[in-house]
Formats: sequence, structure tokens, C-alpha cells
Amino acid sequence: FAAAGLERPQVVSHVQQALSYTVFDCKWVPRSARLLCLGSAARGTGLVQLYELHGARLELLREIEKPKPIKCGTFGATSLQQRYLATGDFDGNLNIWNLEAPEIPVYSVKGHKEIINSIDGVGGLGIGEGAPEIVTGSRDGTVKVWDPRQNDTPVANMEPVQRESKRDCWTVAFGNAYNQEERVVCAGYDNGDIKLFDLKTMSVRWETNIKNGVCSVEFDRKDINMNKLVATSLEGKFHVFDMRTQHPTKGFASVSEKAQKSTIWQVRHLPQNRDIFMTSGGSGSLHLWKYEYPAQRSKKDSEGSEMGVAGSVSLLQNVTLSTQPISSLDWSPDKKGLCVCGAFDQTVRVLIVTKLNKI
Amino acid sequence: MPVWLREHSWRQTLSAVYLSLPLRGARATPGSIFCSERYLKVSIPPFLFEAVLYAPIDDTNSTAKIGNGNIFFTLYKKEPAMWDSLTLANTDKEKLQYLRENAVLKAQEKAKEETEARKITKQEHKKYALEATMKLEEAERKRIEDLKEKERQKVAKELELWKNQQKDGDTYKSIQKEGEFYQEIEPLKERKNEKMNKTRIPTEGTSKTRLKSTKGCSCSIFSENLKEEQLPAPRAAATIKVNFTPRVFPTALRESRVAEEEEWLHKQAEARRIINSDLSELEDLKEEEKNPDWLKDKGNKMFAMGDYLGAVNAYNLAVRLNNSLPLLYLNRAACHLKLRNLHKAIEDSSKALELLTPPVPDNENARVKAHVRRGTAFCQLELYTEGLQDYEAALKIDPRNKNIEKDAEKIRHLIQGTVQSS
Repeated sequence: FAAAGLERPQVVSHVQQALSYTVFDCKWVPRSARLLCLGSAARGTGLVQLYELHGARLELLREIEKPKPIKCGTFGATSLQQRYLATGDFDGNLNIWNLEAPEIPVYSVKGHKEIINSIDGVGGLGIGEGAPEIVTGSRDGTVKVWDPRQNDTPVANMEPVQRESKRDCWTVAFGNAYNQEERVVCAGYDNGDIKLFDLKTMSVRWETNIKNGVCSVEFDRKDINMNKLVATSLEGKFHVFDMRTQHPTKGFASVSEKAQKSTIWQVRHLPQNRDIFMTSGGSGSLHLWKYEYPAQRSKKDSEGSEMGVAGSVSLLQNVTLSTQPISSLDWSPDKKGLCVCGAFDQTVRVLIVTKLNKI
Repeated sequence: MPVWLREHSWRQTLSAVYLSLPLRGARATPGSIFCSERYLKVSIPPFLFEAVLYAPIDDTNSTAKIGNGNIFFTLYKKEPAMWDSLTLANTDKEKLQYLRENAVLKAQEKAKEETEARKITKQEHKKYALEATMKLEEAERKRIEDLKEKERQKVAKELELWKNQQKDGDTYKSIQKEGEFYQEIEPLKERKNEKMNKTRIPTEGTSKTRLKSTKGCSCSIFSENLKEEQLPAPRAAATIKVNFTPRVFPTALRESRVAEEEEWLHKQAEARRIINSDLSELEDLKEEEKNPDWLKDKGNKMFAMGDYLGAVNAYNLAVRLNNSLPLLYLNRAACHLKLRNLHKAIEDSSKALELLTPPVPDNENARVKAHVRRGTAFCQLELYTEGLQDYEAALKIDPRNKNIEKDAEKIRHLIQGTVQSS
């Protein structure tokens, strides 16, 4: 039976690096063995550190300091040659940096009145079609979509009807970008609302409420017809929605799983296999899940309209790495199974997940 | 008096004595034989046989065989010598006694020693078993660790390989980049101009030059350029208005006061069920007049028509029937206010507030009203500070009510006015 245990994917801790600041986000630099850590130094300034993986250790290549702490970043909207980093900081500024010349941002706008909690980019890196766009979600309750070619004003702005009833937006994600016109933005809020905005029709396509604050949403692939959406929340629950079939009243079918007692901070799909994803938790643990599709993905309800059928989720592996929450997670798009995670114990860890080919 | 068994027969060799004891029908068990170095006793009530032996024997090795209606003893002598007789002759009673006791003591000691020895061996066995299990588990663990380590090293090697590939790829690309850089400046300048005019990106002419310069590069860069040319213009700006799910509590589920809500509902349900049935006047009342809710409605109607005394009566009766409905006290307070029974109004509002715990949004309205009524009563009694306290409590619950705000302001001015004048 021990042998059977070893047949499952193993999460191997490859490198661990202690940092002297709080790391909020970590990202692989595409097409390289380099990674970025974004965070906030003790004196209240923002830090971007660029590391390179050398054998069993990380070598610091560059350190950039900025006036405001940085909360999140993405390479999603940049081309493979440029590899500009888009960041959102604690002051609501969206900046795009050229890491070779980071003194002055390539693009800068004070997009929000409060901290930008989450950022996502689409249209870059040779993935997907259409214009490169960046979406930011902020504590001021708005979700804004930016085009790096247009200064100062967003190309789409999702704001609350009444100023007083705003809710913090905690997470945003792009999806459905399979051709030049189609694109959706999914946003999760602190009161459990999940809203799907269709950018082609500029309307709310779907909304639901999962009772607990939504910490992280991600489509399994940004650049295909929307297939699955995973939303994680406080109190250890996550929901997987089947996005292929939308019922007029019931919306999308979903399956939910309670993984652990603490908040699930992040979900990230494996770039090389869209049915495998990893969730990171407030208790410092990582869970690797596999989604299995049902025999039939849609069925007809009593009135004859199509409704989706959710599949099932099974746990492949779990491991506890830290006592503090693991707040950020990123798979390397180039090497299958290589991932980096940053935790609130001021450590960034590079992990390797083995045997993913056998799933 | 025991029955002595005297018919025994014995014979001896140099080293052993063989004693045969017929039992005369009695059943012998191993427990009935007692043997020590010099003393042998067989006791099967009521039969008794004892012998003080001529010389000491080795009682641990000696045996007794029970069967065929007699016991056959094989006693091994301590010193090989021929005995004159089986038992010692000339034994007086004292010596006999002494020997007996001695024998018993010795037997006990021996028994103790035996148990001790057994315990020790048991412990040693246990220890051994434990160590053996530990070793096995250790081996298993090590095996798994080794497998994991191997896995890790394999993966690390693969990573190094991949990384070196990347590095080579990168250096190649950077050389390429520098070559293109100079050639790209021209098309870039053109692009910038076009951006200003917000027209579509590169025309045929520039695209041709770009294609030429990138001929020697890897495919991805080539296709990248093509894609860039086909990028749509930035989206037309638009705003989508969003409504959020209304929530009773503006915080996550775990922070919501569901428990308190439940408590409140429960309390209400309980209150409704209470009927103070020990009133003698009850028999005079009609069925509907015994229903506190009906009485409350009646009271409300009378209040609306201006019949305050009548309303008070209705509420009084209702309270006598059920004294834990907060709304009764609340409404009665309003009546008292109108009747200028200010102290009674204060009493009733206070009682109502007491009953309106736990404070949940469900009973927000009621609580606001209670505070306002009590505040008004205080003010009319010229106890302005208390009144202001109540108004501020009401404002806290319902910050948007303009009337309450206005009244609170008025009271504040009054207080300041009296302070100044006094």
C-alpha cells in the first residue's frame, strides 16, 4: 500500500528562500527559470525582487523599490519579447514596468481610490486573441479593464450602482477570450458575490452568491470558450462551475468541496492540463485536485431548457509547508509541475509536483 | 478431627524415595499436596496425611503423580544416603510444629521468588518484541525516504537541464533582439504617430519591412508580429452598473449574527405561547378578547381614533394575558405619551427595550420607536440629558432618519441654552 501512495503526484520542496519583507504575489517570468516576488517592505515601500533558479538555490538578480507597497502583478497582457510586468499597488495605482529599465513605468494610471486587490491580464504571451487588456479589482468596489494603449481611462468600468453599498472586490479573472471580440471578466467580492461581465455586450452575464467571501477565481483557460471556473472562499470551501451550459434561471451547474477549516487563498490551474488545479490554504497547506467530467455535461430540465451537469473533484495530494497562509501560487508555464508559492511567513518556496504525466 | 491416612508404602534408592499413598476414594488435586524440603502433607478433607521427612529433599524437582486412587510421590534426596525410615521418629509436638511452620514459610518464599522471576522474563520478552517492531518500522520509513530522495534528485536534474535549455534559448533570442533593435526603430516611430491618430496599426509598407527584418528568427516571433498587426483598436469605453446581493449583515457569513437572530425569533415564538391563565376574570371575557394579538389590534385602532384611554385599557388586558410581548409595552408607551403620563411612558418604553434583546435588524424599528418615545418623555420632564441619550441611541440604530436628527439637534441646543443661562 505504500507503493500505491507513491504512485500519486508528490509535492517536492525544491528551494526555500527567506525574505526580509512580506510577499504578496509571486510570478514566473515566462520563458525562463526566473521568478518575481512582489511585496511590501517593513518601512512601507513596495519591493520587486527578481530571482533566478540555480540548482538548489535562488539567486537574487535584481531588486527594485517603489514608493507604495505592491499587492499583485501579472504578465498576462504583455508580449513574449517585452515581458513587461503590470502591477497593482496599495494606493490604487496600476503600473506597467519594463524590468530592464524600471525607473519609469511604461504605463501608469491611478486607477482606483483604494488598494488594488487583484489583477489579471489577457491577450499577451502568445496566448489568446484580441487586444491585450488588464483588469483590476479594488477595495473601492469597482472592477476596471485597461488597455495599455489608452491612457488614463479604462475601457470598461464595473462600478456599484450606489456609492454607499459598495463591496470589496477581492479577485478578478479573464476568460472566454477565444476570438477577437469575445471576452469575459469574472469578479469575486467579499460578501460572496461572483459576477460575470461580458465585455462584448458590456453587461452582467451571470451573478451568484456563495455566502462566504470569494478569495480567488480562475478560469481553467483564458483563451478558450469558457469551460470551467473555480471560485474559492473563506471557511475552506471552493466551487467548480461548469461554464459550458448556462440555464436561464439556474445559471451554471457547480460542485463544491470543503477542503479544510481555513480560508482557501488561491486557486491555480496547471497550464499544461486544465483539469488539474492546486488550492492554497490559510493553514499553510497545498491541495492538488483533479476534476472529472460527468458522463453527460448537460441535460434538459422539466421545461426543456438545457442545464449543465457538474462533475466531481478528487484530491490527488496534499502537503503542509508552513504555519502561515500561503497567499500566492503560480505554476511555471514552461516546465510542467514547477511552481512557486509565497507565504506570510516571509518565505518563498519553489516546489516540484511529480508524476503529473501519469494522470 | 481429620482422618489420618496411614497406609502408605515406600521404597528408596540412594538418590530417591518412592512413596505410594492410597487415597481411599478421596479425590486429589494438585492443590491438596503441600511439599517442602522436610515436610510433606496431603490434605483432602477430611483425610490428612503428613510426614516429616527423615532428610531434606529437593522439593522443586520432586514429583507427585495422581491417579488410580493413589498418589505416587517421587522425592529426590538432597543428599544421597539411605534413610532409616521415611519419617523422623522421636519427633515431639513442638519440633513438629516448628518444622511445619518453617516449611510453610519456605514454600511461600519460593512462590514469591517464582512470580518475580516470571515477571522479569515477561518484561524482557516485551522489550525484545518492541525493539524488533521499531527496527522494522525504521526500515520501512527509511525505504520511503530513500524513494522520495531519489525522486527529488531526478526532478532536480531535469530542472537543471531545462533551465540550461532556457538559458541557451534566451541568449540566442537576446542576440537576435539586438540585431532587430535598430531595424525596429523605424516602424516603431510610425506606430507612435498612428497611435496619436487612433487609426489602425501598421499599413502594408511598414509590415513589409518588419517581415524582412524578422526573416531569420524563430517562428513565434514571426507569428507574434502578424498578430500585432491584427490587434483590434482599444475598446470603446463603457460602464456597467453593478448591484450587490443585499445582505442583512454587511460581513461574511461567519461574522453574521445568525445565532442572535435565531435567539430573537425563538424568544418571540415563546412569548406568543405564554398565556397567563391564572386570572379569575378570564371567564367573563369572550373568546377573542382572550387573544393578546386581537387586543393589540383593538388598542392600535383606538389609538388611531384618538381614544387613548381605551387603547391603554386594551393594552393592559393584553399585558395581563401575556406579559412578554414587547410591542404591547411599546404601544402603551405611545398612549401614555399622548396622555402625558410621562413616568408611565418611560416605564413602558424601558420594559419594551428590555424585551427587545438580542438587538437584531428584525427588531430595529421597534427599538428605534422605543428610544424615541422614551427620549420624548424625558424631554417633556425636562430631563434633557437623558432624553438626548435616548435620541442618540435611536440615531445609532437608524442613522438616516432626519426627524430624529432634527430632534436631537433641538435637544442639544436646549441643553446648551440651559447651561449658558444657569
